[in-house]
Amino acid sequence: MNTQTSLNFRSNAAAAIEDKSLRKAMRNATETFGSKRTVAMGSIDFELLREKASNIRMEVINNLPAYIEKFTTKATAAGATVHRAVDAKSANQIIAGILQDHNVKMVAKGKSMVSEETHLNAHLEEEGFEVVETDLGEYIIQLEGETPSHIIVPAIHKNRQQIGKLFHERLDMEYSEDPQALTKFARKVLREKFLTADAGISGANFAIAESGSLILFTNEGNGRMVTSVPPLHIAILSVEKILPSLAELPTFMRLLPRSATGQMLTSYVSILTGNRKEGDATGAQELHVVLLDNGRSEILKGDCREILKCIRCGACMNVCPVYRTVGGHSYGWTYPGPMGIVLTTLLTGMANSYSLVDASTLCGACNDACPVKVPLKEMILKQRVRRVTEGYSSTAVSLGMSLFGLAIKHPLMFSTGETLASKFWSVMRTVGGENVAGRLPCPAKIPFSRRMS
Amino acid sequence: MSVTDANVALFMENAAKVAAGLHQIAGTDELKGKLAEIVERDVDVFCPKQTELENLAAGFLDRLIPHYREAWVTVEEVTAAIAETGSIVCTSANGKAVQASLIPSHHVALVPREKIFATLDDFFAVYGVSPSTNMTIITGPSRTADIELNLVIGVHGPEKLDIVVI
Repeated sequence: MNTQTSLNFRSNAAAAIEDKSLRKAMRNATETFGSKRTVAMGSIDFELLREKASNIRMEVINNLPAYIEKFTTKATAAGATVHRAVDAKSANQIIAGILQDHNVKMVAKGKSMVSEETHLNAHLEEEGFEVVETDLGEYIIQLEGETPSHIIVPAIHKNRQQIGKLFHERLDMEYSEDPQALTKFARKVLREKFLTADAGISGANFAIAESGSLILFTNEGNGRMVTSVPPLHIAILSVEKILPSLAELPTFMRLLPRSATGQMLTSYVSILTGNRKEGDATGAQELHVVLLDNGRSEILKGDCREILKCIRCGACMNVCPVYRTVGGHSYGWTYPGPMGIVLTTLLTGMANSYSLVDASTLCGACNDACPVKVPLKEMILKQRVRRVTEGYSSTAVSLGMSLFGLAIKHPLMFSTGETLASKFWSVMRTVGGENVAGRLPCPAKIPFSRRMS
Repeated sequence: MSVTDANVALFMENAAKVAAGLHQIAGTDELKGKLAEIVERDVDVFCPKQTELENLAAGFLDRLIPHYREAWVTVEEVTAAIAETGSIVCTSANGKAVQASLIPSHHVALVPREKIFATLDDFFAVYGVSPSTNMTIITGPSRTADIELNLVIGVHGPEKLDIVVI
């Protein structure tokens, strides 16, 4: 699965559609999320709240350098060490360097999509560190050597039989397909890791400029473990995840869990401000925060900057007819679904991702679901335009579009074309191949325009 | 109904939705009986004994041990509670170990009724200005749905959360 790239979207998707157990898992998951989300939204005024959330996020994005500066100052004052990483490589090097300085052998890791983006685990393992994912879903895919297929439920594509078999083979657990038994077993194995880890690495959902705090929304408790039990805590997050102050947090506490899992609130919301201070009995002795840019500053300059409002809830995926059918791995990079199409094309470049811009029906369900009003549909359309202007559309499509453009301006040419097409459709199907054969209907024998005249 | 009464009622309603064990007692004279009902017998108990209420509770608990790491259950007074979400809040202020609400399997939270805020905004207006090193807002027990979206209670944190409103 790791060999998949965004350029293979069509073939990845074609394979995914044939995978019956994947289809079943995706349907179960996205339908469950959908109905839970609807119920959870019943207790808030979604439109009002998302307008407010959108404005807060936009204010930060419009003044991002100033907010980064403020967060850095405040977090430093609270005892954290803040690092800026321009790209994935530099983030990984900074983190490996901190671990080396502290003679770390084993790291307990909490869930972080940004660390998936930088391939942090692979880098740390190459450097000789043992890295243990502690979120249950992440732990499952780490054992399997896979990448997440959903940003909230990483192992959404696996069924209980597959997980039971995995735990039996890799952890010597007696075979069981009972989620309760599998979870309890993981609890036991991972508890030992938390208590003996030399360092914890986590992501963060938000960083607060005013207080220098980090905010983590979690359900399992592993996020609390990795950020408070080991003596060293390193948090990695992308630069745009800032909120002005804790006063804005309630809005996102009301929106994020409801949008993500349909919960009123996650079991835990951790607000971490600096390292353990004199008189404290909680907190890592040392806290490092790595702020990753990795292309965000470039997005900030362009016409898709609103994608930086994204709070990574996954709601756009759960409602997307394409994602629901093909699952996350088909997209080939860290972030799937509608927000993934936009971020992947912007962050990895059109040359590496142009086939992704087709992974949308432009139905706009993502726009309706987004809790921060990112205009995803319009942005996907912008990426389609970019594909053409940057020269990544196929020769056949370009030629076809030029001919169509010419014909539509010349009625005689158009009607001649219509007549020819209907007469020689079987030839055109053969020449055009599967794409034409499967998709385009044969033109009517007598075109509509001539029936009217 | 007073503001506090309304907060208590809403808190009870919302906390019940998130699978927390809920208890209400009229006063501290009922605490002994309530703890006897909630806290398992023959297990090690941690109680921080930092507040008047915790000291009182400690007097009713057998097998108290000095560190939460080996304890089966933690009995402690929380910093605050939030009616809107049915949450309790544990903070590191005054040298409290927030992990005491994480590592043991059973968390018993004592909530004096006047500590309940109506909304998240009310809570942050007071505690969000200069936050302590760790503030954890807890809403129900530890949970996951990572296997086929089946809800399982008690992953890495407590499997059982009991809240006693006094």
